[in-house]
Amino acid sequence: MPSNYPGFKYEANREAVSAAKVKALESLLIEKGIITSNTVDNILGYFETEMGPFNGAKLVARAWVDPDFKARLLADCNAACEELDFPQGMSGAEGEHMRIVENTPEVHNIIVCTLCSCYPWPTLGLPPYWFKDPTFRARVVREPRKVLSEFGVEIDDSVEVRVWDSSAQIRWWVLPMRPEGTDGMGEAELAALLTPEAMMGVATVKV
Amino acid sequence: MKLQHNLGGLEGLDPINTETQVFVEPWEQRIFGIHTAMMALSNHLGDSLPDYAIEEVPTEFKSFWTWGHLRMGAEGMHPFDYFRLRYYEKWLGGISGFFISEGYITQEELDARTAELLENSAKAAAPLPSGGAAEIDAQVLKYLQEGDSPLRELPAPPKFSVGDRVRVKNISPGDHSRLPGHLKGHLAEVVLVYEGAFTYFFPTEDGIGVPMPVYSLAFKNEEIWPESLTEPNSLYFNDIFEVYLEAV
Repeated sequence: MPSNYPGFKYEANREAVSAAKVKALESLLIEKGIITSNTVDNILGYFETEMGPFNGAKLVARAWVDPDFKARLLADCNAACEELDFPQGMSGAEGEHMRIVENTPEVHNIIVCTLCSCYPWPTLGLPPYWFKDPTFRARVVREPRKVLSEFGVEIDDSVEVRVWDSSAQIRWWVLPMRPEGTDGMGEAELAALLTPEAMMGVATVKV
Repeated sequence: MKLQHNLGGLEGLDPINTETQVFVEPWEQRIFGIHTAMMALSNHLGDSLPDYAIEEVPTEFKSFWTWGHLRMGAEGMHPFDYFRLRYYEKWLGGISGFFISEGYITQEELDARTAELLENSAKAAAPLPSGGAAEIDAQVLKYLQEGDSPLRELPAPPKFSVGDRVRVKNISPGDHSRLPGHLKGHLAEVVLVYEGAFTYFFPTEDGIGVPMPVYSLAFKNEEIWPESLTEPNSLYFNDIFEVYLEAV
């Protein structure tokens, strides 16, 4: 389990206290008519089945096989999403204004939110722990290559690294490069190669 | 200046923790869900672009709750607490405090219920209370699907154009800000003027929350940090509200 700086001291029952407190809070909110007994489960279920990185993966796979679609996706991400057969909501919560930037042999993009954890929910779902951790947020803006190498990605000095910090209302994500050796693959097979990390710019796509 | 506003470029930190799970403890899912429900039931949604009949939703929640409210809780913390606590621990403290300060629950009932669950494993394992109006969950789903776009009509033409050099103002963040502190006083180039104006819903002391232009700015890292600490061939882009910028 991730921990914070090891010099900080915590109670032995740190997680048990939080688990009890959040259950106490949720049960009080249900009893007082603020939410229902299904509200939290429904929200979590929505991110399991409707909104998640599986949507982003389909968009990237389509962009890899269809250059015209790729151009439309880069020009207007939200409009391009409407071309695919997604459930309702691709311009819903935290996806109202999305933009995607393309990795090429000349440019490598990474997303970050130094103030919090802004993230395009419809295409990528919810952000992984590392994206929210202050160490990543602090380091990636000044030393992106070192950070990438800790993720196992080496970027040549000849490649321009662009870091996109979401401090206002745009939610950014990354169109990674299609890997070699995928010429015969269809969209579903290509989509299965994608990870959230690849669509955030801290991983390359592997076959 | 608060350290949590000035994260960018801190030196001496550990290697990246590359944990890819979203939730590292099961309880964290619950506070995420509660926050998202509050966003979906916030009283300001009656004025949003999607057609939310928020006054008719049969929830007892009648407050204004946005990302700004959540972030203010974390940004207002003692900086060492900010770093001592994990992400969702900060949410749990801020959201619990909000329900108490708005009078929905009391600190005493929350503490008593928490203690009861900690002491009694059967109660801790028991299901949540059942019930609630289905219309509440219908509104939550509608919010997830339709969101809350901050895009508005421009109140005045943007002050800056693509290619302009601008300086980030050196202002106090107050309780909550969308200006990364490490950019203050630094120069950047406008690379894009986003169409329209963006509100933030939540009025901050430092001036956002009314519709205004937003710019994509390109910063050279060596203008922000000593060159010996930066890397070659990298550019740092940031989306910045107009009120935070001044002409050079």
